[in-house]
Amino acid sequence: MNLSKLNRILLQTLLLPVVALMVVSGVLVWQILSAKATVAQIQLADNNIATANYLSALIADQEAGIRGYQNTANEIFLQPYDFAVAPIQGSFARLHEGIAAQHGDTSQLDSLMAAHRRWVNTIAEPMIVMVRSGADTRDPGLNLRGKAYMDNVRGALASIVASQKYQRTLFVDHWQQQLRDTLIGIVVFALLTGLLIGLFARSRLHAVSGAFQDSLIKLRNNAQSTFENEQRLRAILAAIGDAVIVCDPRGSIELVNPVAQDLCGLNQESATGRNVGDVFRLLDENTHDPIPTPFEQVRDQRRLIGPSSHALLVRHDGTELHVDTSGAPIYDLNGDLAGIVLVFRNVSEQRRTQAALLASEKLAVAGRLAATIAHEIHNPLDAVVNIIYLLRQGSTPEEAAQFLEMAASELDRVTQISRAMLGMYRESRTPVAVDLEEVLSSVLLLLERRISDQQVTVNVTYAPGSVVTGFPAELRQVFTNLLTNALDVSATGSVIDVRTRPYSLRGGPAGFEVTVKDQGTGITLEDMAQLFQPFFTTKGEQGTGLGLWVSQGIVHKHGGSIHIDTNVTTEHHGTTIAVFLPFGAAVLPSEHGSGI
Amino acid sequence: MSVSGHLILCVDDEKVGLQVRRLLLERSGYRVLTAPDGPTGLKVFEDNPVEAVVLDYAMPGMHGGEVAAMMRQIKPEVPILLLSAYLGLPPEITQLVNVYMTKGEGAPALLDKLSSMFPDSKSTA
Repeated sequence: MNLSKLNRILLQTLLLPVVALMVVSGVLVWQILSAKATVAQIQLADNNIATANYLSALIADQEAGIRGYQNTANEIFLQPYDFAVAPIQGSFARLHEGIAAQHGDTSQLDSLMAAHRRWVNTIAEPMIVMVRSGADTRDPGLNLRGKAYMDNVRGALASIVASQKYQRTLFVDHWQQQLRDTLIGIVVFALLTGLLIGLFARSRLHAVSGAFQDSLIKLRNNAQSTFENEQRLRAILAAIGDAVIVCDPRGSIELVNPVAQDLCGLNQESATGRNVGDVFRLLDENTHDPIPTPFEQVRDQRRLIGPSSHALLVRHDGTELHVDTSGAPIYDLNGDLAGIVLVFRNVSEQRRTQAALLASEKLAVAGRLAATIAHEIHNPLDAVVNIIYLLRQGSTPEEAAQFLEMAASELDRVTQISRAMLGMYRESRTPVAVDLEEVLSSVLLLLERRISDQQVTVNVTYAPGSVVTGFPAELRQVFTNLLTNALDVSATGSVIDVRTRPYSLRGGPAGFEVTVKDQGTGITLEDMAQLFQPFFTTKGEQGTGLGLWVSQGIVHKHGGSIHIDTNVTTEHHGTTIAVFLPFGAAVLPSEHGSGI
Repeated sequence: MSVSGHLILCVDDEKVGLQVRRLLLERSGYRVLTAPDGPTGLKVFEDNPVEAVVLDYAMPGMHGGEVAAMMRQIKPEVPILLLSAYLGLPPEITQLVNVYMTKGEGAPALLDKLSSMFPDSKSTA
């Protein structure tokens, strides 16, 4: 039930009694009006009765006047008779009107008037004449007749009065009946209306109460599910291994889960309400410069950020942790930013493990080269040892000069090999200019024996001035990896093509690309997908599965990229690995030579 | 120093090493034939009355183990000394030859081990 429906119901409940009262009032008015008519009838009857009584008195006056005159023959006694004549006529007329107004029967009145007229005409008037003429009026017959006529008059009058009284009684009864009916009507109507209002109000209130109950239940359910959801989310937040900070759009912290509390070095109470920038400070891993947090990025870009790494989190106590970070916006129903979630993870341990892996892979590369290197050193050493023996045995000066020349050239070879080997380890702390040709040549020198043993031909094509910025030892490691991989898959008599060329990524930096192309069997699609995963190897026990992973890491660190193109068809099988390295900042040809 | 004049075949792809080894052996009284790789060595071995072979292990194309195995098929009686710059060759290869030694052990060791392969002449080298 919505608000407008509720309002309608309330209005209905309010209007119904008003309408009922108006109906009652109407009925009352009608009843009063009809009662008024009845009362008028009663008054009419009362008037008629009064008129009749008045008439009776007048007629009695006339009779008394006639009797007085008869006895005294004095005209004075005749006065009442004469005075009554006109009022009697008026009363007759009024009475006639009154009875006519009642729609009553005037025959009684007519007979009264007739009886009176007969008395006047046959008794009273002759009597007056007889008295005036002095005739004897004591005729018993006349007097008896006069009395009889007068009795008729009185009887007629009495019957009119009786009739009017009867009428009056009838109207009074009718009026009382009307009063009773009205009362009963009102009571019944009031009862019915009350009942109706009660029932209607009950049904309406029932609907309202039902809707209210529903709303309450819904509200309770909502509250319950909100509570459960919150508990669930809290449990998830508390249980997950990632650190989570939730803040409002202005950066005021609302929630810090236990992992985040641990990593930042503070608790929920001390963090709540603080600005996220005070608690969550990030530095660039390499430069130690402050970098924008995902909070700022999400706030400005209104989108999911990360996950990104290479950040250092400065803890409350000033210590630093390597973290991977990401951030996500929280939107309200209107699509406005309601908050921001920061998720981060301590990857310090992972970094240490990676560092250990990198170190071990570096050693493994050296280990794999050790046999070749031992061979490369032992051969010249053997020659030199033998030359010394021959010199000790005694030689002509010409022979000795030749021996020394040979020994010197053999020792040169040892020096070269040892330098190439050292180049794998001696590392500068900052990027320097690296001549790719020099790096590739020295790696190929270390692999020379293996290449010739395998009877593989290595064709090299160097573009002039192939200098990039980077860490020479790391790049040596990359190319040693790529070349040993190529040698591992190369069959006897096959060709490895190594070349450098200027290259620039579309819309990206310019630099050099080094390609190593072998004629091996190629890489299957399945293996391609996992090629750069750590510990993935196609060489079984012979491989660590770290070579390409480490190489990719190094190349990415240099701002470059590795791309692999492979072909497994029987005619054109082989793999080409292309490594792009940007020029970077320190490309000054005069500075190169940091390699061997 | 023995001047027995035994005919020795030296096979090695290292030119300087081979040259020095030849001088060394010749001064010790041996007659020396040389070959720069396995196939050439086998041909010389077949064509000449070689009495002993000083064989390098790591050579392009055909390594010392393979060469030794073929020599054993041709003239099984000729003793073979296998020289290697690598350490720890697999036993199936070292078992093929009479003596196995690593490069750089020095001239006296080489001469001593070589002469020990000739039972008739106890060398004083």
